[in-house]
Amino acid sequence: MENRTELTLKIDHLNVSIKTENGLIKPVNDISLEIPRGKVVGIVGESGCGKSMTARAVMGLLPPATKIEGGSILLDGNELTGHSEEQLCGVRGSEVSMIFQEPMTSLNPVMKVGRQVDEVIRVHQKVPLAEARKMTIEMFRAVGISEPEERYECYPHQLSGGLRQRVMIAMAMIMKPSLLIADEPTTALDVTVEAQILRLMKELNKSGTSILLISHNLGVIAQVCDYVYVMYAGQFVEEADVFALFDQPLHPYTKGLLGAVTSLRREEAVLETIHGVVPDFSELPDGCGFAARCEKCMERCSALMPRMAETEPGHRVRCHLYSA
Amino acid sequence: MRQNILHRLWESAVVLIGVALLIFIMLRVVPGNPIETMMGEHANQATIDRMTAELGLDQPVHIQFIRYITGALRGDFGTSYSLGKPVSLLMGAAFVNTLKLAVFASLFAWIVGIICGIISAVRKNGPADHIFMGFSLLGVSMPVFMVAMILQFFFGYYLHWLPISGADSWKNFILPAIALGWNSAAGISRLMRSTLLDVLQEDYIETARAKGLTKNAVIVFHALRNTMLPVITMMAIQFSGMLSGAVITETVFSINGIGRLAVQAISGRDIPLLQGTVLFSTAVVILGNLAADCLYAVLDPRIRKEA
Repeated sequence: MENRTELTLKIDHLNVSIKTENGLIKPVNDISLEIPRGKVVGIVGESGCGKSMTARAVMGLLPPATKIEGGSILLDGNELTGHSEEQLCGVRGSEVSMIFQEPMTSLNPVMKVGRQVDEVIRVHQKVPLAEARKMTIEMFRAVGISEPEERYECYPHQLSGGLRQRVMIAMAMIMKPSLLIADEPTTALDVTVEAQILRLMKELNKSGTSILLISHNLGVIAQVCDYVYVMYAGQFVEEADVFALFDQPLHPYTKGLLGAVTSLRREEAVLETIHGVVPDFSELPDGCGFAARCEKCMERCSALMPRMAETEPGHRVRCHLYSA
Repeated sequence: MRQNILHRLWESAVVLIGVALLIFIMLRVVPGNPIETMMGEHANQATIDRMTAELGLDQPVHIQFIRYITGALRGDFGTSYSLGKPVSLLMGAAFVNTLKLAVFASLFAWIVGIICGIISAVRKNGPADHIFMGFSLLGVSMPVFMVAMILQFFFGYYLHWLPISGADSWKNFILPAIALGWNSAAGISRLMRSTLLDVLQEDYIETARAKGLTKNAVIVFHALRNTMLPVITMMAIQFSGMLSGAVITETVFSINGIGRLAVQAISGRDIPLLQGTVLFSTAVVILGNLAADCLYAVLDPRIRKEA
């Protein structure tokens, strides 16, 4: 029960595999992650690195032909990996909830948005409709939806992208879950709305919900996260406190990502990029997955998988440059 | 929305008059004299001329047309040459049978089509899916008269369970309803399956799953209504098609419906009866489509607002 107070989520050596025509691939490969209560933890990485798959594994919403091969997921100290579908339904939406990348298509087009939020309450609690409606309107107000009574009656197509994402957040937060997973929550929104949504998430975090934020956008990560995991080809390659990571990135991949961020204050004319592309999961090398794109690649890099090594307390990196 | 419906009704009236004019002209352009056909080979020219005048067929076409339309507006579609009764009366009696057949056939098609479609989609590539889709392939590819005759043979002739012709009791309608509905059921189940599979890929389905709804609840409360949108259109079009007369089914099972009446009218060169049945079919199809659009608007709020 110690865990219950300290860690909202603890993922231990999690493996997820998908059966494909080219054999078994591992989009999530031996991942360990901890989210202390009340903290915002980010996973950053390129498209297809396994970020979303990790989130879906926690939700128990893996696509067909995808399986958790081993490891454990502890939510508030409860093991989720062995749960039946029925047990998972009880957890989803009430203890862990999720918001998605596309607010435009994530709401059912033929249902009033208010009803869609009511539904979450009524799935998990026996509450009369009128009561649920009151709770929903209250939540709408809390997530900054103006005129919540009118909005309650709206259909998704009558709302802007920002408002729809607020509805999604209201839906995710209505049961006061211990963990909110946000999968690229602002990618489809414009920058001003993005700032508002991030501010809202930070506020919700202060009221006690831990957040797992998934993004490819380092700017977003820097704004809200306390701790960051950098993911590459199904593995974490670096993890650190957000300040440590931005001040002192260690892994060549992290350095590359940070180098590829534009800034108004930058003087260089050419934007740095990481050359090459993310390797295919079915053709991963025995050694470091980043070896082929790495400027500092050494002989052993492509032969031997580096281990996670702690360079400073709380700052760990998976790279031969830093292993003893 | 109300304005939209009024507008559509007005359009429908124009289409109806257009169709009436077209059939009217066509029946008078095709060679052969209906009065000669009616009177038989031995009638003399004087009698034929007298009958022609009596029925107003000697008048210019536009006068005939105006007479017809003004009569039709009062509910008078003329008198059948071959049966000697008012067309409205004949059609009324026939429509009762056609309506019964259409309702039974549609109920069969909707229930079977929707249930098989859902099961096939949810258990995609499972044994039930293969069986249902196999049957539905048969359904869309087998002609109605063949299905009808197979049913008659098995359930009527061989097993003696059900009557194979007539329209005396509801039992008479079971086999025709299955024969006529089979094809529709096949179409509906295929459309239902493919649409539901598409809908299940939508983002809002994942949202619903993330809320903690069970798989079945997600299908019932979130997927089905979205799936029904195109299916409703298909159902309405099929239903109005059946209402306007199932010629083959009615003929094979000897049911006196609109379809059979139309066949009689054509073979007997019965102009008033033919005009009546064609006009009726047109009206039913137009109304069917209008009903589909209205239902569509009820189900889909995005359409409601646009009108």
